[in-house]
Amino acid sequence: MSRRFGVAWFALVPLLLAALAVGGVLFLRQGGFAPYRVPAGATHPLTATPEQVGRGEYIARLGICATCHTTRGGVPFTGGRAFATGYGTIHSTNLTPDAQTGLGGWSVEEFRHTMRNGVSRHGVLYPVFPYAHFALLRDDDLDALFAYLQQLPATARAPTPNRLEFPASWRPALVAWRMLHYQPATPDGGAGESPQQRRGRYLVDGLGHCAMCHGARRSMGSLPAAGYLAGGRIPGLGWYAPPLDAQQLRRYSTAELADYLRSGTSPHGTVYGPMAEVVYGSLRHLTPDDALAMAVFLKSVPAHVAVPNSAEPAAGPNRDADSGADLYKRHCEDCHARDGRGTDKGPPLVDAVAVTAPDPANAVRMILYGAMPPTTAGNPRPHSMPPFVQQLDSAEIAAVANHIRMTWGDRHSNLSAGDIDALHGIDVD
Amino acid sequence: MAHTLSMMRRRRRLAAEFCARAWVCLALLLMAASANAAADGLDERLAACAACHGTHGEGVSGAEYVPHLAGKPAGYLLEQLKNFRDGRRVNAQMTWLVQFMDDAYMEEIAAFYAAQPPRTRAADTGASDLTAAMRATAEQRVTHGDAARNVPACSACHGSELSGLEPGIPALVGLPAEYLIAQLGNWRNGIRHATAPDCMGEIARSLAPEDIRAISVWLSQQSHADAQPPAPAGAFVLPRACGNLPHAEPAR
Repeated sequence: MSRRFGVAWFALVPLLLAALAVGGVLFLRQGGFAPYRVPAGATHPLTATPEQVGRGEYIARLGICATCHTTRGGVPFTGGRAFATGYGTIHSTNLTPDAQTGLGGWSVEEFRHTMRNGVSRHGVLYPVFPYAHFALLRDDDLDALFAYLQQLPATARAPTPNRLEFPASWRPALVAWRMLHYQPATPDGGAGESPQQRRGRYLVDGLGHCAMCHGARRSMGSLPAAGYLAGGRIPGLGWYAPPLDAQQLRRYSTAELADYLRSGTSPHGTVYGPMAEVVYGSLRHLTPDDALAMAVFLKSVPAHVAVPNSAEPAAGPNRDADSGADLYKRHCEDCHARDGRGTDKGPPLVDAVAVTAPDPANAVRMILYGAMPPTTAGNPRPHSMPPFVQQLDSAEIAAVANHIRMTWGDRHSNLSAGDIDALHGIDVD
Repeated sequence: MAHTLSMMRRRRRLAAEFCARAWVCLALLLMAASANAAADGLDERLAACAACHGTHGEGVSGAEYVPHLAGKPAGYLLEQLKNFRDGRRVNAQMTWLVQFMDDAYMEEIAAFYAAQPPRTRAADTGASDLTAAMRATAEQRVTHGDAARNVPACSACHGSELSGLEPGIPALVGLPAEYLIAQLGNWRNGIRHATAPDCMGEIARSLAPEDIRAISVWLSQQSHADAQPPAPAGAFVLPRACGNLPHAEPAR
């Protein structure tokens, strides 16, 4: 009996040791114990210069902070906006200096630590908060951002409870997620990059956290380095974000791309969907130099190899070719032109992301519910796209979407009425 | 010499005056041109609105449930655009389209529809019948209110012609009954809000539920020849506080 136990132990011990070793390596890889040692709160009042606060406001805009940390019509920066994930709904938090519900009493060291490590006095934060990106931010930028947030009116707002499934609902489980999917960013040397490219990389990878939507997601909502800016369906939003690289952006000159970021429009297309919110809440405030730096960097990202889309229907004959062309002539041609190259009233469809993307969601959603680009200094009176959900049924929308995507997107688009039905519904929170 | 000098001075002053006038004229011309340019192309830009509200806000057949916009007071229209943007009024399609729009464009859009010929003819061609009792109730409420429930007459704020009051009170004629019922229901349920004090919220919550249908159907059947404009600002005084609009002091 005891001998059998001895044998079992003999076999188990190496297994346990191996598991511990692997766990230890993974734990060290996510940063060891350091991220969980949160510096204490403020011991002395913060002193900030007006210049610092002004810079902090610009940084808050580029970081799109208020967009995520404000509900519709709510007090800016007081949090409560809901984020749908594959594991439930998470709500953003109050960033105003309220002592009970916000960042009142925080020290700048605590703020820096939380922004960079995703761990605050309340525990490990969910990776909806883009700390992997904010880890790249310089001390002076984080300090300016903190100075700006601390001078906002302190507004109490009780946190909205998250609604998450187990084990995601149990915060310590996030340590396991970090062991599997998180590595602290090592500031990319960007060897051989010009100062302008480095500035662009800093804005894209750091403050702008563009990869949160434009990165390709893998298991458990992770964003591995391999999918960096590779594009894909944005979780929880139902829109497709294109890859950002030299190939995808080739139709834009650098100047056009910089202007597109600030104005939300260009000769090649206009922002829509979640990107309209990013331009309205953030990018329209970019300085011309920063916009140019982002454009230069984005156009230098090496082209991604197109991943075949397993969800795309197999090539087949376009059963609705005639009705699609006819519907296009009746409803679309006036603005997008017969040859799809656009007019003063509507952007070109040739080479447009919605038309060429492997994912038809953007094209279908825009036809269903229309679009109004954000108002910006460069485009103060935007042209809108009418919704067609009142006029066309799902079969007709499928036919016209197939027509557009096959004619100018070179895609084997074979959408059915059922595919359109599945994309019905507007998510506004 | 002195004579020449004063001549020169006078000439210079005349020239200066002429220049100043020319500048004023030029500025006026430019303003007129830019106002023209502002209106120019707006109907094209607002293709998304036209899909449900009509090119000039006159309504669209096939979307009768949707309210018309033509000729409603600009202040009212602007308030509604802001309400949809900021979540005080709920309609996913409307919020979807206006959520990233600044006040300046909203003001221009509101002014555009306000400037169209008012659409005050009845929207419902096949409206439900009213029983004699419902009709009597509706007429009583619209013209006299419901004192027992502290509900003022509709006409006290929306005007004896029910065509609204500049700058913030819309016409009640020309709207579909379904739309009117839905709005009163939304106010009762806290889905629709107006700028505080939200008088319509108070009124909708105070109304007898059985009156809502009678009043709405009756209103939907009233019809003016088109282009019955809202009463001018100050034509009468509201009996109670509504948003920022001028109103009578409450009786003490």
